[in-house]
Amino acid sequence: MNEEILQTGQQALEERSRALFHESVNNLDMRTRSRLNQARQAAVAAAAGARRRPWLLRMPVLTSAGGFAAAAVLGVALWFGGPLSHHAAAPAESPFEDLELVAATDEGAGDAIDMLQDDVDFYDWADKAASTEPTA
Amino acid sequence: MPAFDTLTEAWMVWDGPAPAPRGVVLEQTRELDRFLAEIERRAFRMAQVALRDPDDALDVVQDAMLKLARNYGKRPSAEWRPLFYRILENGIRDLQRRRSVRKRFMTWLPGPKEDPDNEAQDPLDSVADGAAPVPEQLMQAQALEKLESSLRELPARQREAFMLRNFEGLDVAETATAMGCSEGSVKTHYSRAVHTLREQLGEVW
Repeated sequence: MNEEILQTGQQALEERSRALFHESVNNLDMRTRSRLNQARQAAVAAAAGARRRPWLLRMPVLTSAGGFAAAAVLGVALWFGGPLSHHAAAPAESPFEDLELVAATDEGAGDAIDMLQDDVDFYDWADKAASTEPTA
Repeated sequence: MPAFDTLTEAWMVWDGPAPAPRGVVLEQTRELDRFLAEIERRAFRMAQVALRDPDDALDVVQDAMLKLARNYGKRPSAEWRPLFYRILENGIRDLQRRRSVRKRFMTWLPGPKEDPDNEAQDPLDSVADGAAPVPEQLMQAQALEKLESSLRELPARQREAFMLRNFEGLDVAETATAMGCSEGSVKTHYSRAVHTLREQLGEVW
């Protein structure tokens, strides 16, 4: 009997509180509704934008490798094009032109070191995979 | 461990499967939009009950929407609801923690102290409305106010369990996922919440 009364009381509380809550949801003001709508559209656009990125850019390993390659080219260009070994270079072959070319081909070149750091795990894993390859 | 002929092949394995076709992506985006449209108002009200401030509630809901879309948009839509509420509850808890730290810090600083009850109050709110409210509406408003203040007084986990189960209609398993605890804990939190609310709201209801 007591259990039944408790159950009825609990059910009444649940139903009444739920009804009040849903009524307050339905009575939300237009400003809040509009802001929620904007927030939703921003979230959906963010999701769609993330999916629409080219497949190459969606592969962090590849972009990191690209950054690493660009950094290597940049290093070589600076090393061989630096003031100490620049005696024979003509003005038209300025190392800064190379630098611009390298920078223009990969916008992530500046982050190359960071990205390389991020993907140390991959290179470690790939190295292990290569070393366990059975010899033919 | 697999062996690869080229580094590109290794990259493909390391970085996961190829993206879904365009039609599938469009349908997923539409489904995400429908899902968020369906829950956004309830999520906002739940955040508002917990945080009191509507702007904070909007920020937390917006943040949860973005995180769900970015991080879990590709997951099956059946998983979205508990995941969304998990992100939302984490956001609410983070904000409450930041507030309490700020409050503690403010007590050490000289100058006028912040009154949380007066925070973000619009002076226009205190101006009397031209139309007198119908007695029934007034009673509803009072009951809602009492319910919200009682919910705020509950421990956070009990409040979460009650709102997710009763207002959002999640089952025990989904609530457990959203709260990051066991199903047994959900039942305990819910039962305690109901018990406390019945004690507090007994006179009104």
